[in-house]
Amino acid sequence: MGTQVKDVIIKPDSPNTLLLDKHADYIAAYGSKKDDYEYTLSEYLRMSGIYWGLTVMDLMGQLSRMNREEIIDFIKSCQHDCGGISASIGHDPHLLYTLSAVQILSLYDCINVIDVDKVVDYVRGLQQEDGSFAGDKWGEIDTRFSFCAVATLALLGKMDAIKMDKAVEFVLSCMNFDGGFGCRPGSESHAGQIYCCTGFLSVTGQLHQVNADLLGWWLCERQLPSGGLNGRPEKLPDVCYSWWVLASLKIIGRIHWIDKAKLRNFILACQDEETGGFADRPGDMVDPFHTLFGVAGLSLLGDEQIKPVNPVFCMPEDVLQRIGLQPDLLS
Amino acid sequence: MAESEEEVDVLVQRVVKDINNAFKRNPNIDEIGLIPCPEARYNRSPIVLVENKLGVESWCVKFLLPYVHNKLLLYRQRKQWLDREALVDITCTLLLLNPDFTTAWNVRKELLQCGVLNPEKDLYLGKLALSKHPKSPETWIHRRWVLQRLQNECSGQELKDQAEPRGDAVSRRRCERLQRALQEEMKVCADAAGRYPSNYNAWSHRIWVLQNMAKGNLKVLHDELSSTRLWVSMHVSDHSGFHYRQHLLKALSRELSQAVERDLHPTQQPNGESTAGASDDNHRNDVIPQHFHQEMELCTDLIESYPGHETLWCHRRHVFYLWLQWRREHVQGAGSQSPPLTHTDVLLSEEPCDDGSASQAMDVDCFLDGSKHGSYTQDTKRLKRGPLLPHPGLPSEHSFVSRIITGCRSPEQSRFAVSYRKWLDSVIVAQELEI
Ligand SMILES: [Zn+2]
Repeated sequence: MGTQVKDVIIKPDSPNTLLLDKHADYIAAYGSKKDDYEYTLSEYLRMSGIYWGLTVMDLMGQLSRMNREEIIDFIKSCQHDCGGISASIGHDPHLLYTLSAVQILSLYDCINVIDVDKVVDYVRGLQQEDGSFAGDKWGEIDTRFSFCAVATLALLGKMDAIKMDKAVEFVLSCMNFDGGFGCRPGSESHAGQIYCCTGFLSVTGQLHQVNADLLGWWLCERQLPSGGLNGRPEKLPDVCYSWWVLASLKIIGRIHWIDKAKLRNFILACQDEETGGFADRPGDMVDPFHTLFGVAGLSLLGDEQIKPVNPVFCMPEDVLQRIGLQPDLLS
Repeated sequence: MAESEEEVDVLVQRVVKDINNAFKRNPNIDEIGLIPCPEARYNRSPIVLVENKLGVESWCVKFLLPYVHNKLLLYRQRKQWLDREALVDITCTLLLLNPDFTTAWNVRKELLQCGVLNPEKDLYLGKLALSKHPKSPETWIHRRWVLQRLQNECSGQELKDQAEPRGDAVSRRRCERLQRALQEEMKVCADAAGRYPSNYNAWSHRIWVLQNMAKGNLKVLHDELSSTRLWVSMHVSDHSGFHYRQHLLKALSRELSQAVERDLHPTQQPNGESTAGASDDNHRNDVIPQHFHQEMELCTDLIESYPGHETLWCHRRHVFYLWLQWRREHVQGAGSQSPPLTHTDVLLSEEPCDDGSASQAMDVDCFLDGSKHGSYTQDTKRLKRGPLLPHPGLPSEHSFVSRIITGCRSPEQSRFAVSYRKWLDSVIVAQELEI
């Protein structure tokens, strides 16, 4: 049995320059195919989809091409009596989409179009005895939801609404021997969960509790010979995991531990030269999700054609400056 | 093919009915799938049942999904009334096509709450959805909710019934029901793990099941440890599967140590009963090092047989780390208060523990000088089943790494071995210095 390294090969004719105009056209056109079958299939996460599209447009300086009024009306009609916000009209409210909606309204600088106090009540009501957060009233627990809760409250300037000590205690109880974090205590380390947990600890000013060298080590081992990063050992490299790993490294002050030039090459190779947009891997189908994380990743790597992105909130730095939010980063 | 809106309506209603009739006709359907078929075939239902597999011809999905999708959303906005039976049918079809539609699962939670659905029936739908979408996060999330409800149903009513004379039989039946659910859940996890490599959702769900439905249950932990051994050996790249074994080892060593503690201090039993298991002390305490030892051996075998798998090297790190941690906590610190513990840090036979191991504990040199034994080959190791091997320690790990690097033809394998050595030298050494 030979060794098969799980990685991709980047072809010499893969794109190696950033095709910003194409990406902006791709995102601008995406929302117009509303009776598409795929569009129905992904309606359960529509609010996050809009956040991905708007954020990447803002990072590219093209936010004005999106339909602001329509989006704001849509968000208003997704807020429920409990204060929570759903992915789309007629769907049930959830913390994931509550955060996405608050992020969108922060981009548009109009947070008060929704009932902010009720959002705060909703988030507060989801905190459990042990400090963890349920995603919605049905009670699923996940460190992702801890991140959603504090990120939402931070954007609203209402961090004092929850029991912070307990919340921190729970997230730290999900830390593993390799320095990483999983979804619940005892769960396997996972780059997406690590992003949520380091993001959480950044927002709550608790990054000193991370073992940055150990975690940085694990995160760097995600880089494969192609330059791309995976989310766990022996998984394929992926543009979205590249963002989560890279952002986590930035948060814990270890971004210089990976080969930035190689990662940049990998991300650029994931562009579709014809349609615009980024795929998870070179040659795959593009989507708005990977397009945001491709562009955001390049921004963290220092590409000057893109606005600087904040690694914790995955939003343009200028938006956070306007709000007056400066989450901690380790140096 | 259907064209007008009314025609689509009629078609789709018939298909939803066909799907639900198929389940009524065959309650043993165990897999769903799409049959690639771009055009409708004249006068034939797009629902095909072959043995226990339910297939949906692909041409009808583009009508079917938007229809059930919109129907449910209209109901959710109180714009259209649907009776309970229609809700069951529509959510079933919808979730088989799009299992991450959270709101549809929530509608089923409400149907469970008012007794229209029973937990087992709902878990069955989830199992089918996972046969096509083994990662589907919302399906796993819903399962946890249903399982919790099932548990509450069983334990909550148990208390109420205890006052009644038939309480025993009732509680036995409930207990069996939970046992069946637990077994079934492990099967569902194993199936999903087989369908998608390193399936984070399946394996973290399995850990949740242990933590919530089999808390402190040594038998389940042991069964899981032995039943996943072959599986990981055949899936050497599956990091999640190996992580599950790490979790099992950690949980087992914690539970076994607590059992020993209870035996040593019988007065601390909450119910005041003194346990008769004290004579098992030796056994229990030897079992933990033996588990670790066997896992390291398995890992050695796999690393040698399948060079260049990062997962195996990660596994080695975690198991070795857990072993050192256990030894630190239970051998050095606790050694004075419990005589049986003193020989656990020495040597162990690979054979199931017996009293003979006490005499072999004299050979302390082997433990101190692991390198002496580090150069054995796999063959001689197999021949020498009986004789003792040193417990893993820093010296034996170093000689393992050297041996791998020396005979290595795979550049990946060398890279992982070097990285493991670096990890031993920095992370482990720093930790050992801390004590
Ligand atoms: Zn991805």
